Amino acid sequence: MSAEAGSAVNHAPRAAYAVALLFLIVLPWMPINGYWVHVAQTFSYTAIAVIGLNLLLGLSGQMSLGQAGFYAIGSYGSALAAIRLGLPVAVAVLLGTMLAGIAGAVVGVFALRTRGLYLAMTTLAIGFVIGIVGQRWVSVTGGTMGLSSVPGITFGDGRHDDTWYLYFAGGCLLLVQIGADYVSDSRIGRRLRAINESEVFAAAIGIRVGWWRASVFAASAALAGLSGALFAHQSGFVGSDAFSVRLSISLLIAAVIGGLGTRTGALLGSAILLVLVELTAGAEKYGLIVYGGTLLVVLLVFPQGAAGLFARFRKRPPVVAARARDDRLPFAAFEGASLSIRGVTKRYSGVMALDDVTIEVARGTVHGLIGPNGAGKSTLINVVAGLYRCESGSVGMDGADLGPLDADGRARHGLARTFQNLRSIESLTSIENVQLGIAPRLSVFSDLRQWWSGRSFEAEERRIALAIMDFLGIGSLAAVRPAELSYGHRKLVELARAIAQRPKVMLLDEPIAGLNAQEAKEIAAAVIRLRALGATIVVIEHNMEFVMSICDTVSVLDHGVLIATGTPGEVQRDAKVITAYLGTDDAP
Amino acid sequence: MNGTDLVQLLLGGLAMGAIYALVALGLYVTHLATHRVNFGQGDFMMAAAYLTIATRAAHLSLPLAIASVILCLAVMGWLLDRVAIRPLDRKRRSTVGSYAWILTTAGVALIVQNVIELRYGKSSQYSPPLFSDQRDNVVHFFGVGVFVEELLVIVVASAVALAFYLFMFRSRWGKCIQTVAFNPEVASLLGIHTQRVKVSVFVIAAVLAAFAGVLIGPLVTVNPQMGLIFTIKALIVAAIGGLSNPIGIFAGGLLFGVAEAGSNYVDSSFGDLYPLLAALILIAIKPAGLFSERAIDVR
Repeated sequence: MSAEAGSAVNHAPRAAYAVALLFLIVLPWMPINGYWVHVAQTFSYTAIAVIGLNLLLGLSGQMSLGQAGFYAIGSYGSALAAIRLGLPVAVAVLLGTMLAGIAGAVVGVFALRTRGLYLAMTTLAIGFVIGIVGQRWVSVTGGTMGLSSVPGITFGDGRHDDTWYLYFAGGCLLLVQIGADYVSDSRIGRRLRAINESEVFAAAIGIRVGWWRASVFAASAALAGLSGALFAHQSGFVGSDAFSVRLSISLLIAAVIGGLGTRTGALLGSAILLVLVELTAGAEKYGLIVYGGTLLVVLLVFPQGAAGLFARFRKRPPVVAARARDDRLPFAAFEGASLSIRGVTKRYSGVMALDDVTIEVARGTVHGLIGPNGAGKSTLINVVAGLYRCESGSVGMDGADLGPLDADGRARHGLARTFQNLRSIESLTSIENVQLGIAPRLSVFSDLRQWWSGRSFEAEERRIALAIMDFLGIGSLAAVRPAELSYGHRKLVELARAIAQRPKVMLLDEPIAGLNAQEAKEIAAAVIRLRALGATIVVIEHNMEFVMSICDTVSVLDHGVLIATGTPGEVQRDAKVITAYLGTDDAP
Repeated sequence: MNGTDLVQLLLGGLAMGAIYALVALGLYVTHLATHRVNFGQGDFMMAAAYLTIATRAAHLSLPLAIASVILCLAVMGWLLDRVAIRPLDRKRRSTVGSYAWILTTAGVALIVQNVIELRYGKSSQYSPPLFSDQRDNVVHFFGVGVFVEELLVIVVASAVALAFYLFMFRSRWGKCIQTVAFNPEVASLLGIHTQRVKVSVFVIAAVLAAFAGVLIGPLVTVNPQMGLIFTIKALIVAAIGGLSNPIGIFAGGLLFGVAEAGSNYVDSSFGDLYPLLAALILIAIKPAGLFSERAIDVR
């Protein structure tokens, strides 16, 4: 299946994990200096925080300049739990991790509302505030004097404490890396990448954008906390000086220098960071110059990071022979729904974009929405899709009011759309873009198990996605990224993704704009076949031949007012429509 | 607390607030034209404060000292654009997304901080007073004593902010910046040298930081690590002002300064954190800022 599609299915690299585990086990018994065991411990917990940042920034595209704050919470939480409550180290570490995760979830609520610059600012400020609290709340944290005699892991005579601790920290890293690999390979990673590239798009295909953003923020905070907790028990001392913004910056350097959004980036980056720290240890007073300079050089010279450099040498996916078009879809029929737009009015600060527009689209029909440029067609689609709120009026499907639902809720309710301007996720292949539309079939746990076993991971999803692509005649392009496709093929990928959502109502915004006559014909044929399968379709299009040939009913908008509605024949003869399109003789 | 304390608290807060406002206005002007800000704006201010100390220690007259600080900072602003901002535009989509500038400008901030540390040491320094012969000169109004330096810092900072406002909304240059802010492509079609405007906003931002750095001298002791907190507070002030309304930002700065002075008086150990947290919550509730209406993009 995957060979046909021309791209390898990702699954757990179990052999690599086994090698890593073996290496971890034998490392302390090698004839090496105890110093290297210590380095390996440091590497383990540093990489955990960097993996968290890689998930946050590399996958979901959210910048955090405050990871040091969550690291601090994990450190203090775990150290205090061990010292004050006398909990075993492993339990204390878990507690610290959870505390940081909870703090991250709280901040994640901020993250829901701010993005970009504001998010960077918010996280910077929060990291700073947590650092200050750590410094000044001396009765609890000890301030700069810190908490000392934080217990490590010890058994018996204590001769192998460092070994046990390495196993503990390294084991945590291995588990975190496995989890992060799964996230990256699975539908979760695809969703995060979609959110990263376009939140509007992500919401339009039914992704709970806010929920995912907050979750990934909390997860990355928890990982920073785990990292901080492991640091606390390794060093035995937790002082507030360790949690400056410099730590946040170091972690960012590691994430970027290793290669954001890649599987091995965090590991490579952490290793490079440790080398950097080691190099500056002798020249402490130039430390900031080294850090700042590294940031500049990495971002300006090789923003793809170390993993990106390696990826350049990886072979490209094989070119796949043409695949036959297949007229069957992987599902028997669509459960169409009627769409009713009632009295919708929408203004843009004084400009009347839609004035009391009422349109009824019957189940299983194709409805054309036409009108001159600026008539309000796209506005109407955006109101229906829930991206814009209208001042008055309602939108319903099968009689149920969609009013309370946001764009993502409407998408999950069975509304799919394509965009006038192409929207596809460039960091995913075409088939993965189509897979974005497919509703989850398995629980996360079953999905994880399949990913781990490697057999049939997402096989069903890929079969469905490929069948839809074959239906549109683009099956051979499954492994190609949208950016490398022609305009027409990208439109088809988007249409395939909309079909994969198995919508009750499909909104197509200018599906053939920019396509050649042959491609337009294929889209027309596809629309007619979708209707035959029961789908309700609303099409915005300027091409009259196309509209008149496929639509059962047509509405005409002009300056936000519905001026005609009826069968294509009726509308074509309507005097007002002719005026709107051609103008009148007595126009000034 | 008696009336005198209250007035002094208020003036102290207003003076610091005016500094925050100047730093924040620098963030505003670059954000307007480029949608980017310098995450080292506070460090630029810190550098200006040190340069003021240095030039005055070299016995330059006050106007000459200020002029040389402004010139130095203008060069730093120009360099920032050339080194940390503009090269990013030539890159194809980087994996850091469209926010690589946050990290590059933060990187420059670290370098600036380190250079100042190397040159002047890590410990705090006193800056000589600007307007009188000693720091704590007091004048009396209606029986209430106020610090001359604080009073004049407020006056001068307000004058700088006013001049900036007139520059932005009355001068030809300001209109060029507004045009680029509206749409860079339209601006270049109208014959505006967009690239030059983009570098000039960073120079203007650095000059505002220079004024802030000169004026902060009489208010606090300066140290090389002080930049970050000013960056954070200026960002927050700019965000409260909506990043699009210079009057709102100035008002927000003063408000923040006064709130901070008040809460420091009430709780001397954690007082400075409360306005910060309150502002963060405010931003979470109203991301577009207090003084700005969310503009709907009709294009």
